[in-house]
Amino acid sequence: MITAERKPLAEIKESIASYKKLLILGCGSCVAECASGGEKETALLASQLRIDAKKEGRTLETKEMTLDRQCVYEFIDQLAGVIGEYDAVLSLGCGAGVQAVAEVFPRAHIVPALNTTFIGQTKQAGLWLENCRGCGDCKLDFFADVCPVTRCSKGLFNGPCGGSKNEKCEVDPDTPCAWQLIVTRLEERGKLDSLEKVHPPARWSKKEGKGPRKIAREDQRT
Amino acid sequence: MNTKKDGLSYAFFFCQQLDAAQDLNRRSLEKELGPRIRFFPLPCSGRIESLHLMRALETGADKVYVIACPERACRHREGNTRARKRVAFAQRLIAEIGLDPDRFEFLVASALPSPYIDKVARELLARESQVDPLPWGNKEREAPKEILRKEKRDDYRGEKAPRRNQREHRLL
Repeated sequence: MITAERKPLAEIKESIASYKKLLILGCGSCVAECASGGEKETALLASQLRIDAKKEGRTLETKEMTLDRQCVYEFIDQLAGVIGEYDAVLSLGCGAGVQAVAEVFPRAHIVPALNTTFIGQTKQAGLWLENCRGCGDCKLDFFADVCPVTRCSKGLFNGPCGGSKNEKCEVDPDTPCAWQLIVTRLEERGKLDSLEKVHPPARWSKKEGKGPRKIAREDQRT
Repeated sequence: MNTKKDGLSYAFFFCQQLDAAQDLNRRSLEKELGPRIRFFPLPCSGRIESLHLMRALETGADKVYVIACPERACRHREGNTRARKRVAFAQRLIAEIGLDPDRFEFLVASALPSPYIDKVARELLARESQVDPLPWGNKEREAPKEILRKEKRDDYRGEKAPRRNQREHRLL
């Protein structure tokens, strides 16, 4: 899932300073899972902003709504009868969601409340770790389902650097050595000899250098 | 007890395991202080959410207490631990907007069975007030009285009677 973190409150306040009626819009997907933009977090932020406004003697009227997904037009359409009543929308969606809402309602000011961070997994309650960089050339099958692009600090494809200590990376001692994980898992699977294959450098052109990427499926299009 | 002197409003969230007869025991304080005190029994203190504390503040509570079972005595094992963390999170949220984080206070009962909830509450209210009244006053605290008055059937001469069980908006 895509993970995000709420922006510092001072930054959010600066963006919405001139507005008196706000629609605070959450997303029920990725950002709900990482506890930054779901229904609960939307309510918390709305409450915080209302209390802050009261404290400063300002008027602030808010409405909270959470869409199942902020990046899908069918869900964004639910805002049609509502969005016009508010001065701006404070979106707790990821960057994709903020932009999608702005595309459907180009005249509305959509203010992002989150900083989108990485693609990751929930390691345990309250802990999310990055495990995919979206390189577009997935090699997980060669590396026992451990991504060396993301999880090896040096992005090595052909074996460990030799600098790990106690199974931890020498670049960041909090990070497990990805190559330790790869080798251990290949041993368990009895496929250690697959490491003898030499992997060429990644084709970064699949990820960078050509502007925003797209996927087009004619069988899915109307 | 100087509950009337300081004029503050209080909200008490507490685990109902602490006092099985809490519904009866808290009535004297509720009668004495009226809308200035509100009790919220919880099936476990771990049911508390940071949002509950924020909404209590928003609707006029100057000070919010969360009272949990003692360490290692939570019948749901870690409810009191979760409650502590959520109170700490809520404290950070109000500190972010310049309010005193001491407005939210987390306490554990010293032992089980604990003293009746009204005794616990009275002891807390008797302490020197560590927070000031909220800068925007307690106008919200008066709203529940108005809602309750409107619910009396005598006030609806000829008008459509309210739904049964229509009550003031509850935080939980």
